[in-house]
Amino acid sequence: MMAGVGGGNDFQWCFSQVKGAIDEDVAEADIISTVEFNYSGELLATGDKGGRVVIFQREQESKNRLLSRGEYNVYSTFQSHEPEFDYLKSLEIEEKINKIRWLPQQNAAHFLLSANDKTIKLWKISERDKRAEGYNLKDEDGRLRDPFRITTLRVPVLMPMDLMVEASPRRIFANAHTYHINSISVNSDYETYLSADDLRINLWHLEITDRSFNIVDIKPANMEELTEVITAAECHPHQCNVFVYSSSKGTIRLCDMRAAALCDRHSKFFEEPEDPSSRSFFSEIISSISDVKFSHSGRYMMTRDYLSVKVWDLNMENRPVETYQVHEYLRSKLCSLYENDCIFDKFECCWNGSDSAIMTGSYNNFFRMFDRNTRRDITLEASRENSKPRAMLKPRKVCTGGKRKKDEISVDSLDFNKKILHTAWHPKENVIAVAATNNLYIFQDKVN
Amino acid sequence: MLGKGLKRKLEQEEENDVMSCPQDASPTCYWLQRQTVLNLSLLKLHSRPGHSDPGLARRVLITNTLRHIQDELRGEGGPIPQPFPSTGAPLGVVDGCRERPADCGVEVQSEGSLTPVSRLEEDRHLLLCLSPSISRQQPPSSSVIKDSFTSALAEIEDLCPTVGITTLFTTEMGRSLTSDPNSRQTHPDLSEMNSGLDSVSSLSDSALSVFGHTPSLLTDFSLDDFLFTEIDSLLFDNVPCGSSLSASSGASKVVSMVTDDLVKTLTGYGNGGTSQSALPSNQTFKLDLNELDHIMEVLVGS
Repeated sequence: MMAGVGGGNDFQWCFSQVKGAIDEDVAEADIISTVEFNYSGELLATGDKGGRVVIFQREQESKNRLLSRGEYNVYSTFQSHEPEFDYLKSLEIEEKINKIRWLPQQNAAHFLLSANDKTIKLWKISERDKRAEGYNLKDEDGRLRDPFRITTLRVPVLMPMDLMVEASPRRIFANAHTYHINSISVNSDYETYLSADDLRINLWHLEITDRSFNIVDIKPANMEELTEVITAAECHPHQCNVFVYSSSKGTIRLCDMRAAALCDRHSKFFEEPEDPSSRSFFSEIISSISDVKFSHSGRYMMTRDYLSVKVWDLNMENRPVETYQVHEYLRSKLCSLYENDCIFDKFECCWNGSDSAIMTGSYNNFFRMFDRNTRRDITLEASRENSKPRAMLKPRKVCTGGKRKKDEISVDSLDFNKKILHTAWHPKENVIAVAATNNLYIFQDKVN
Repeated sequence: MLGKGLKRKLEQEEENDVMSCPQDASPTCYWLQRQTVLNLSLLKLHSRPGHSDPGLARRVLITNTLRHIQDELRGEGGPIPQPFPSTGAPLGVVDGCRERPADCGVEVQSEGSLTPVSRLEEDRHLLLCLSPSISRQQPPSSSVIKDSFTSALAEIEDLCPTVGITTLFTTEMGRSLTSDPNSRQTHPDLSEMNSGLDSVSSLSDSALSVFGHTPSLLTDFSLDDFLFTEIDSLLFDNVPCGSSLSASSGASKVVSMVTDDLVKTLTGYGNGGTSQSALPSNQTFKLDLNELDHIMEVLVGS
């Protein structure tokens, strides 16, 4: 058995929980479209195609249950976005949540940003576990009392009540994006954040909703000359003036907001020269970057394109320092994947808390993890068959040709409808959340 | 074809073989894949996926793929009835000027600028001309056309061997259809054809909604001209399949006529423009309504 990835040699990934409906018929609205842990890892948020946000909270570890860490239970559910209609273009604006980003916690309440194609909303999630009783002017059921009958005054008393978690929209940042929002990222100053669509990136102040600064604009004067779009953007985790954005041509630009108001000119330009021997009709499409993530340290960034994950050193622009093949066996199937549109799937990637491992999804409900130190990699599957509590996950292998060994699965038997696009890693512990269509799987390491 | 873990069938195996041909294998394989990619790209650009905005990134990627193929075809030189494969360089090798230099953020053409739209359109119609003619000249080692689009085109040609080039696209752009197949300028633009489809679709949305709208990336600068002159000829003057379609309703009549024009144009190219400008008599045009429907289904990828 392969030594574990992500935390040392005694490491094994085990099933912990699965959330979501079991039946085969998946409602489109239930498909999970984003997953994100908050800064402490206590909360885990998911967004779905139906515009809903579900937040799970980790229960406190109890001394009785030593074999597993705290489980995640539903904490709050709310409808974040509704479908809208753009009358000018006669097009529907989907309510699908493209991204959720948490704000760092500054008081008892939790704040997150959720974005669909056009609008970003700041939500406040707060707890209420006390209720005031003993009002003077109204009864317990809310009816107004007749003032002439009030003979004494009393001070209302706070009485405990069942915990209620309320989500309320505190800010709505709308009408700033002509194209579809693909990324939002909170700045390290905790006052501003950026939002990126296909052609523009805007900088917002969290308190101000009626305007934003446009900091990147790659729209050409003549749209027919458009050959490249923005695919993802992220703020640097420590330097509040630095952000990066990736493109559909496989390039990443790092920009410094101190240099100019409009950051059309990059400070650094990251691109790996193309390997001429592997050129095909689909070279550009598979080079399109679907996700970019800074490491927690801020020294590296990771990009995901269709077939691989690359780790870049911010000080070296001409090539990545590490490249990991996610599913190279698909290279010979690109034409079919182009036909059925799978080649346009946007996979995300994530770092673990210590930046020693990275994770990304694949097809057939497989997801892959790469240990940067040992260079080991592992393929695991999110499926109900492995869903006994604390069941260890067995590594999976795809057979690329020749004789198929037992337990291997051949490339042509892969289910391309079961794709893992969204994964998240707990910021401090070895707990991962994997979204498989409408189900959310939570795996954790085996506690010895 | 790659689906829910079902066992592959034999024709899928063959198709997968085609798709997975390495580039430096037979040029036929490469040509076939290129043709497939070309057809798929065109289909994708013209299909409208639902009521929401299909997404700019996807369209840009498909359009770029199409442009790469156009560049290749242009770089290989002369169009139509070149015996295949007679180009000097092996087709699997990418022309040096198209490799992206490492320090260049935006892909540049050899002339250092993006392909002007007018050149782009020249080549798109060229590709459409190329499709039927190349498919008629079967590559030596392949006897079965595996791609549905190409096979549909082949069917069309089989059915209409003598239909000449339509008069539809004459004069308005100062171009006339001559019998010289090698001259690019004489053939009408695909954009004109698109805008023709667009303008007709604006007239009868229900019947023509399958055509979708021309992607904004590709111009239809002749739309105005086309609207005011060609519509008339399109709707009222063209009766190539009048007898078989006269019984159909107005909407479907328009549909049939448009498809018919498409068919005629394709076949016209396929013939290398050998026929004269006047349409032959209706009797030789044997497509009936069922086959037109079939063609439409193939074209819009339903």
